Parts: sequence; structure tokens; C-alpha cells
Amino acid sequence: MKKRALIVLNFAFVLLFMFVASIHAYSKVDLFGYYESQVMGAKVKDSFYQLYANKLRVDLKSDFSSNVTFAANFDYITYHGKKQWNILDFLSSEITSQVPDALKPLYVIPFSNRHFLDNAYLRLSFKPFDLTLGKQQISLGTGYVWNPVDVFNIKDILDPTYEQPGHNAMRMDVPIGLASTATALYAPGEEWKNSSKMLLFKTRVSRFDLSVIGIEKTWRFHDYTVFDPAQMSFLELPEKRRLLGASTAGQLLGLGVWAEFAYNWMDQTDDFYELVVGTDYTFDFQTYFLVEYYRNTLGKKDYRDYTINDWMRNFAQEQKAVSRDQVYALVQHPATDLMTVSLSSIISISDHSMALVPTVMYSFSQNVDIFAYLNLNVGKEGTYFANTMGNGGFVRVRVYF
Amino acid sequence: MRKHIILIVAAVVMTASVASSQDLTGEDIIHEVDDLMTIQTAYAKMKMTIETSSGQKRTFVYESWTKDEGEKNLIRYLEPSRVKDQAILMLNNANDIWMFFPRTQRVRKLATHAKKQKMQGSDFSYEDMGGSGEFEEDFVAQRLEDEEKNGHDCYKVELVRKPEGDLSYSRLLLWVIKENFYPVVIEYYDEDDPTYLQKTLTQSNIEVIDGIPTAKKMLMQNLNDQTQTVMEIVEIEYDVELDDRMFTERNLKK
Repeated sequence: MKKRALIVLNFAFVLLFMFVASIHAYSKVDLFGYYESQVMGAKVKDSFYQLYANKLRVDLKSDFSSNVTFAANFDYITYHGKKQWNILDFLSSEITSQVPDALKPLYVIPFSNRHFLDNAYLRLSFKPFDLTLGKQQISLGTGYVWNPVDVFNIKDILDPTYEQPGHNAMRMDVPIGLASTATALYAPGEEWKNSSKMLLFKTRVSRFDLSVIGIEKTWRFHDYTVFDPAQMSFLELPEKRRLLGASTAGQLLGLGVWAEFAYNWMDQTDDFYELVVGTDYTFDFQTYFLVEYYRNTLGKKDYRDYTINDWMRNFAQEQKAVSRDQVYALVQHPATDLMTVSLSSIISISDHSMALVPTVMYSFSQNVDIFAYLNLNVGKEGTYFANTMGNGGFVRVRVYF
Repeated sequence: MRKHIILIVAAVVMTASVASSQDLTGEDIIHEVDDLMTIQTAYAKMKMTIETSSGQKRTFVYESWTKDEGEKNLIRYLEPSRVKDQAILMLNNANDIWMFFPRTQRVRKLATHAKKQKMQGSDFSYEDMGGSGEFEEDFVAQRLEDEEKNGHDCYKVELVRKPEGDLSYSRLLLWVIKENFYPVVIEYYDEDDPTYLQKTLTQSNIEVIDGIPTAKKMLMQNLNDQTQTVMEIVEIEYDVELDDRMFTERNLKK
């Protein structure tokens, strides 16, 4: 049965590809995208795990007229190697000992082959406003690694510029003068009350971009200690989340500076706030330096207070941090004209642990990039970047077409 | 200093009022060069080829729009696929820069220091690409002995950065064609060491387009890195009608 479904899906994919190709052949649709092959390895306890992934992204873009744009992308991803990672393998014995044996197999993150329409939207541009309908990117905030005002995405702290998934929404951007914009966004849920609503106002004051934002969204924390047999998953605890935030980016004393703040009112759980402050600079010798501080009051000050819920919610992207205060620092330098090397470190101030991430980006040819990093965790057991979290590496080769 | 590269352009009104070439001071010559390069609006399609120290090549094609004598600039990449639809908006003579990344639809505001970064790894920095910048405003000019350069009879002018200037080059040497005040070669010297030659820009294939002398080929040689970048004009139009709304974040994301 599973095999048949796979054949049908593959057939559908081929049909879609042929459809796309025929559209490309007969109309003014831009067809582009990339294929990437990546391998990740991590030493966990006495084992070395490997996960391979292949991703094909096909983008379509067409400007039907000067004020109508259609864009979409389809992703096809396959995984190989260790496709099931049990989170408990990475956690301290103090945490795992609290988990009943019967539940332990449930803490598995599966990497299943998938293909899906990631983004597909239509943008209608009228003189007084733009209307964007469909699955689209929602990128909010000025932070490089963390974005307190963005409740739609959570960046990978090891690869913060990687693309985010599309979100189904209706968005209206109303320009006010040349430097200001008001934005309203509605991401429909089953009913109005559990749909996401957002209002954003962005303007420019002197050399600074400023924005204020309000969001209402149903937030879905899970209790990872309680299994819900009706849903065959951990117990979901939906509640209303209301966010009021602000962000800015500009320049101070020659340095690039940015800041983001968001206060979150939660219906059931404790209210919390997130704060980001960052700065960057490019030296004359082309070395680029960036540092960003992040506070999340959902995170704990003492690692001995971390619970299985904290960890699982962090892995499941329900909360952005386990520890309260973190600093991200990046130094980047073009080692040759085709290769950029960088070293980033993420320091969990609250529990005195740190991840070191040396990275290389190499332009192999015009449309082929190689990206690789090592991930070295330096922290004692139980901390955010404990060495038991698995030291490892990652290589990605991407070919654009 | 920057505008010469931008669209390399020049509104030459070959003024008859210019005094005889012997009487011209360095400031007079630079004034003429500034005048020549002052254009209101332009659209260009450019091809940029980077040649690395190992001989490999990377080619980029982009469109650019400029307005208000280069004070406003918008650049949008067409090729290669890796950077397709990436866009850069530069306002206030590239003192305000926004970059747009299409896959994430994210706009990132960059501070002035980002001007020092190489544009797509080329030998042109964002500072070189954006803004109109006035030689007269940023430098003190001194005329040196005339020289022949690349087959042209040229004025040679030394520009020394004004003390209050915030530029990446401490000194420039220009060879300016006597016939039309077009700078055919510019040497760029290190920010801190005015004797250390960093880059050389050579402009060639000069044609008069819409009445404006325009170098269709620019070669920037980086003597530090042993690399070079060739910028070629595929298409150019002067005095095009450009709305201010073109130079906004809204349009950047299109």
C-alpha cells in the first residue's frame, strides 16, 4: 500500500514537472531553482550517525503584466541514512530518567521523504496597495539569528539564512509616502478565532528603519509528558497568543545596529518577552563581524531547571530557546576570491555552554556552491550546548539552474 | 568618485566656455569631469565578469536604474540563477543600503560600512557602484604634468581625500581625456597609505550615446588580490522617466 502511494506520488510529481516544463515552453514563465545534496554526521555517545538528504526545488515566476505576479516553488526531498533521531539520545540522564520507558520511542524525530508546494502566490499590485494571496514567505524582524516579532518562523541557529517554509495567508501592503508601509495579514485557520492576524507599520526616521507590530495567533504548545491516544501524539495545548513588538535597524557611530522586542500575552501559560540587540561592522580588510544578544524569558536561568517539555518544545520549534540569555558572534572573511571562511559561536550565557561553528563557503563554479560547517558543542551535560548533544559536521553542495 | 563607475556616464556638454587647456587648474578639470558625469536618470543592463586569481570566471548580469544624479540607485540581478532577483536599493549616495533576498523575501538594511564589501565578490565595492559622489566635494585636486594614456592626450590630476572625508581611498590619480573630459584611467590608493596602489580602473570603448560619452567597457584590476572585473554595458538609456516610487522597499521586493 505504502509502495503504491509512493508510485502515485512520484507519478504526480512527474506530471507536475511535465506541466511546469510545458508552461515554460509556451509562456513567459521563468523556470529556475536548485538541487542540493547534503550530508550531516554527528557523534552521539558511542555512535556516529549520518543523514543524507537530496532536495530539488523548482521555482516558477511569471509577471503576467506590470501589476500581476505569480510565483511558486515545489520541493522534493528524500532522506537516507539514519532517518529517525531519538531526542532522548541527546539529553542528560537526569532528563531521560524522568521519561517512562513506554513513552521513550515517541521522542523520535522522523525524516520522511516529502514533496510539497512550498510557496504559491499571486501578487496584485494596485497603485495604493499590493495584495498577496496564497502560500508565501512571511519574514519579520531585523535580527540575524533570532526574530522575536516573527511567530511564523524559527531560524536554524547553525544556518540562519536558510529559507523558511511558505505560509498560507492574505497580505495587504499599503505604502504611505515613500518611506512608510502599513501591512495587514490574515492567515486563515479553521475559524476566525483561531486564525492568525497581523498588523505592521514600518517607517524610516533619519538613518533608522522602525516598525511596530501586533499579532494574534493560536499557539500550540504540547505537553511532552502526556500521550493523547485520541490524536496518537503528545497532548496539544492550544491557546491564544497576542504579541506586541517593535524592531529597528540603522547605524550608530559607524556600526550597523538593530534591535527587536516582543511581549507575548498567553491565555493559559505564562506571558513572556523576547529581546534581540545586534551590531555588525565590515573592516577595511573585508573582514565582517557580527554579534547579537538574545533574551527569551521562556528560557530558564539555571540548566538544572530544564525539563523534557523545554527541550521538546525547542526541538519542535514551539519555543526559540531553552536557556534565557544567548549571544551569537560571527567573524567572516573572504579567504580567497572564491572562498569565504567564517567562525560563529553561540554562547548560552545562562548555563555557560557554547557551540562553535567554523564554516566554509566555496564557489565551485558559476552556479555551484559548496557549504560546510563543523558543530562543536562545549558544555557540561544538561546544558544547552552540552558536548553530549553530538559534535558533528555538515556538507551541502548546491547546483542552481 | 563613485559615479564614474555607476553607469559611467557623462553628460558632456562640451563647453566652449572652458578656458584654454593650459590655464586649467586641477579643480577646473575635476569640475568638468563632475559635470560630465552628472546625469539625472538612466537605465542600464550590465554584464559583470569576475576573473579570479586562478583564472576562473564568474559572470553576472543585472539591471540598474539611477536617479537624481546617482543619489538613488536600484540594482536587480538577472543572472546567474544563484542570485536571480536579488536586489539592492541604495539611497543618499549609497549611505543607506537595503538588500532583498527573494527566496526568503527578506529585506536587510545595511549600515554604511557595508559599502566596503565587494559586490558579489567582484573588484567593485558597493561604494564604487552607488551614489553620485562628487570628486570636488570629496577631494582636493591638483593638476600634474599632462600625459598620454591609452592613446588619448590626457590631463593628469591627483585627488587627495579631504580630512573630513569618509571614503575608502586616500588618493586617486586620474587621466582625463582633454577632448571631452572623460576619465580614461583612475588609480585608487589605499585608505591609510596614499602611496599604496590598490585598484586601477580603465575605461574603454567610449561611444557617444544619447549625446553622452559612455565607456561601454570598464576594467577594474585589483592589484592586492591579483583579480580583475570587467563591466560591460549591454544596454543603456539616459534621461528615462523614473518615478521616485521605484526607489522604495516596495519596489525592491518586486
